[in-house]
Amino acid sequence: MASAETGAAVEVETRIAASPEIVFEFLTDPDKMIQWMGRAADLDPRPGGRFRCDINGRDVASGEYVELDPPRRAVFTWGWEAADSLTAPGSSTVEVVLEADGDGTRLRLAHRDLPSAEVAEKHRLGWQHYADRLATAAAGGDPGADPWATPEGAGGED
Amino acid sequence: MADERESLDRVARALAEPRRREILSLVRDEEMSAGEIASRFDVSRPAVSQHLGVLREAGLLGERREGARRIYRARPEGLAGLRDFLDRFWTERLERLRLAAELEQQRRKTRGKRRDGRGGRGGDPHRRKP
Repeated sequence: MASAETGAAVEVETRIAASPEIVFEFLTDPDKMIQWMGRAADLDPRPGGRFRCDINGRDVASGEYVELDPPRRAVFTWGWEAADSLTAPGSSTVEVVLEADGDGTRLRLAHRDLPSAEVAEKHRLGWQHYADRLATAAAGGDPGADPWATPEGAGGED
Repeated sequence: MADERESLDRVARALAEPRRREILSLVRDEEMSAGEIASRFDVSRPAVSQHLGVLREAGLLGERREGARRIYRARPEGLAGLRDFLDRFWTERLERLRLAAELEQQRRKTRGKRRDGRGGRGGDPHRRKP
């Protein structure tokens, strides 16, 4: 597992001892998705289709699928749902690329279009925007088995 | 990791107070002395000093001295913790995805062996579904 940052993006990479076909199912099948992310998922895996994942019973990530090329590539938009959120669902983009690697899969995930400090500076509500996001970030502060599985101890929402 | 979390918590707490966000907006494009900042608010000078201290400790505010005066300016790079947070979020998610997908692969291999006595390498895994 390795991770790196380039520009306004976060990139993470890993190798999985399973075929790209199987891995791809975990990006589009709700029952499989909740095995690795969230408590409930509402997915409509086609371009323009819904992507909605209840991360911990309170924080809901939502956007829509932009591109699906099984078993090679999946792109979906991403943001946090909340009545007072200034970080609109679908405001950033997640791209997952799968590549056969022997009898396994090399997976690369890039989370792009993240708000940059420069954008926030120019935005009238920029600081509020970051306050929202960071309050959500603080929710990851519990070093337990899966800090994202429960909303307890979380700060404000994004 | 614990340090990162503490740092992120500090930033979140610093930004949670509306007046501190106003202070950051004030010194976003230009430097200001503590006195100038205080004059913009209807609160006591010590209260403003305390806000400045919280922002500075969170890494969101830069401070330099000019004689007896302290001059402040926003430090947007103090928000780098946001990206660190997302990096960690996805790294943890992918570790779980790896475990879940590998378990699924094992399950299908085993099922394939039981059904036709062959190993589970190659072929379309969908076809092995009962």
